[in-house]
Formats: sequence, structure tokens, C-alpha cells
Amino acid sequence: MTQQYKHSMLPETNHDELARQNFFQSLSNHVFRQIAPGNKVIYETVLKPKFEQQYQRSPKDRHEVRRLMQDQPYYRWYGALKRTTQEMMWESVISSVERQLPELIERAKEQGSKLGTLTLDPNFQTPKYQKAVDIHCMPGGYHDESILDDVSVGAIYDRFAYIYGQGWLGSLNDDMGQSAIQNYLKQQHPNFQPTKILDLGCSVGHSTLPYVDAYPEAEIYAIDIGASMLRYGHARAEALGKKVHFSQQNAEKTNFPDRSFNLIVSHILLHEIPVPAIRNVMRECYRLLAPGGMMIHVEGSLFRHMDAYRAFMYDWETANNNEPFWSAMRDLDLTAVVSQAGFAAENIIETFIPGGSGMQKSSNDNSPNSKLNMGMRWFLLAATK
Amino acid sequence: MSKKAKGKRPVYFDDPQIDKMLAIIMALTAEVSVLRDRLDTLEHLIQDKGIISIDEIETYQPDEQVAKEREQRRAEYIARVLRVVQEEVEALQQH
Repeated sequence: MTQQYKHSMLPETNHDELARQNFFQSLSNHVFRQIAPGNKVIYETVLKPKFEQQYQRSPKDRHEVRRLMQDQPYYRWYGALKRTTQEMMWESVISSVERQLPELIERAKEQGSKLGTLTLDPNFQTPKYQKAVDIHCMPGGYHDESILDDVSVGAIYDRFAYIYGQGWLGSLNDDMGQSAIQNYLKQQHPNFQPTKILDLGCSVGHSTLPYVDAYPEAEIYAIDIGASMLRYGHARAEALGKKVHFSQQNAEKTNFPDRSFNLIVSHILLHEIPVPAIRNVMRECYRLLAPGGMMIHVEGSLFRHMDAYRAFMYDWETANNNEPFWSAMRDLDLTAVVSQAGFAAENIIETFIPGGSGMQKSSNDNSPNSKLNMGMRWFLLAATK
Repeated sequence: MSKKAKGKRPVYFDDPQIDKMLAIIMALTAEVSVLRDRLDTLEHLIQDKGIISIDEIETYQPDEQVAKEREQRRAEYIARVLRVVQEEVEALQQH
């Protein structure tokens, strides 16, 4: 497996912290590859045939599959192990970041703002839907602030995303941005040269930075709700020599003037916000795009792309991994939402693009793990104004 | 800093205490793995410095004295781990 790129903001791990993080990565891998598939065996060989015999048809959707699966001891063990692994993986990163937090805060300050900028809003109101539960079981969520000039949320997220993704997102966790650029923009729109780009819900800027290299003439802006996340993201971008203007804003309603951007992107943002907020984000994109401008939202697959069993397994995240909006988004007719936001129906595209660009770009890894990357794909929702 | 994610935690087993037990066992499993990695680091460092080879560790035969000490340590260790099972009987024996 590739190693995470050690930029100067990345939290360090001492011997045992790294051993612990490696263990939870291995455990997560085991649950995913060795335990999860057993659910399908039980479903296909026992539960589904029984259902078909009883009703003369297959279970029609994820809800019917759930009724069959939810009390199976094997499925419960799978859930318990997966949830416990998620919690302990967070803990293994949090305790490491907490140990070195004062030093990380100092390092962030030393980075300064030689290239880009950071604009925080002391009166920022974190949306209620973000405060109700901590998404994907990250203690404190994206918005937590525990001490002055806190960067802990960003530091934790940066390290966790790498361990959780088993390195599939590349050594800079930037696969979504890289793939949107290399496998969509550069392929489908080779002459498109945006001059002003906005990344919505950028977190620490994992997916933002590839746009800096891909469009060197463009000004890059990135927004998120978490101050700690943004402080870290800004320092990380500076450490990596990338010029980005970060600001603390809600993507539903920003302070940028109308028609400010030629390209607006988001990466796995939509499934973290409720449907009314998705509608607001689409309307805001329409307002912010200049005529001829484009928006691209990168996501995982929707439920209509999956059979009933796969949709059920995907839906695990909703209740078990604190992903309250995960399923509502995947049931949504996104083209209709985009159309209602003002985009002409003929200018809206839903498609899939190959993933793995982040990995190919950042490593020549030939380990068996890198093969998992093959066949990885992202769902892409794009529209032109 | 927050240590627990806000939101309702699902219960997976018939008795929620088993969920906690699983978390405890996995935490211990993790620490065994951490210790094994640390030992592995030590073995490699010692080998790299030419003090002993990992081969020597693999083929090490404890002499009688060492074997006896280990046996004693293992017995005490197992007794400590399984203490709770014996407590019930011991309570009866005390009366």
C-alpha cells in the first residue's frame, strides 16, 4: 500500500500510534473483504430462496431485504464489528492528534498566508442539520472547536480519510478531484479553461488542490462550515505550495456575487446534507455560475444504480455510521432538482467516471491492494448554465 | 476534544452489554497487535546492530530454569484473566 504523503501539516505518529492505526486499517479491511461478503452468501443461499418460495417473487427493494437480514446473527456481528472498528479508528487518530495539538497549531501559524487566504466568520451559524449528529461517527463533527486557533478537526480528518480509504484515494486523498479533472473535464471539455473555480464543502481541500494544478490560470476558492477544518486546510495548501482562497461559508447561501464562477465543484458533499439543503445548493450554484459556466458534483452511486441487496448493504451507513442524509440523497431525482434550480434539462448530465486517478498519479504501487482500485468509479452530476 | 460521536448508537446484540464486551475485546486485540509490532521493531533493531539475529530468537531453546519461570508466569497470568470464573466457587468455599 502507498504511504500518505507527509506534508508538513500532517500529524505525526509515534511507534505505537502508527501500529494502532495500522491495526484498525487491517481490521477494517478484514471486515470489508472477509466478513461483509458472508452476508450475501446467507441472503442468496438461505433467505432469498425462502422468500421466493413464499411470495413467488424476489425481494423488491432494500426495505424488504432489510426485513430478512436485520435479525440474522451474522449480519449483526458484521454491523457490530464495523461500527466498533469505525469508532476505534477515530480514537486511534484523535488521541494521536490530541498529543501534538499545540505543535500543530503553531505549525499552522508558521505556514502563514504566502499564497492563498483564509477568511473565517466569527458569527457563522453551523446549520442545525450538521449539529444533530456527528457525521460518519467523527466525534465533534466537522464543526467542533475545542481550543483557540484549533486545527484538530482538519488534522484528524486528513489522517482518518487516508486510513479509512486504505489509501485508495491516493497519497494526498485527492482521487475525487483528480478523477473529475482527468476522467471528465479534460476528456469531455478539453478546451474549457475556467478562470474562477469554487469547491463547495471542501473540508481540508483534498479534492480542491488538483484544480490548482489543472487550471494554473484560474483563481481557486473553497468553502466549508468548520473553522478548524479550514485553518488546517489553508495551512495544508500553503505547505503543499497551492494557492487557494478558503472561507467559512454555508454552500446553501454564500456571499459571492452573482455569476462569480465558471466552474463550481463538490465532492461527496451532497449525501451529507438534507434534501432541502441540496435544493438550496443547486439554486446557489445557478446564481453563482457565469453563463456558460459548469457545475460538477462527484458522489457515490445512487440506489437506482443498485440491485435490492446492494442497496440494502449500502444503506447500512444511514443508521449505523451516522449518515442521516445518505439514503434520502440516493433516492432523489437529482436531474429534476437541478432542473428546478434553473438549469435547462438538456444541459444536465448524470454519468459515471472511472476513479483511481489520484492513486495513479501519486504512486507506482504494485501491491495487491492497489488492484482494489480497478473498477472503482464515481457518479457525476454535471450541468452547464 | 470530543471523544464520542453525537447520535444514537445502534445496539447489535440481544444484550447491549455484549456490544460493550466486543469493544473491550477489540481494544485489547489492538493492543496485542501494537505490542507485537513493537517487539518486531526491537528484534529488527537488535539484528541490524549485529547483536543477535532473528533466527536465534526463532530457534531459542529455554533452559530448565527459564522454562520453569515461564510456566509459572503463564499459570499466574491465566489465573488472573479467569479469576472471575473462580470467584463464585471460592465464595462458597469460604463459608
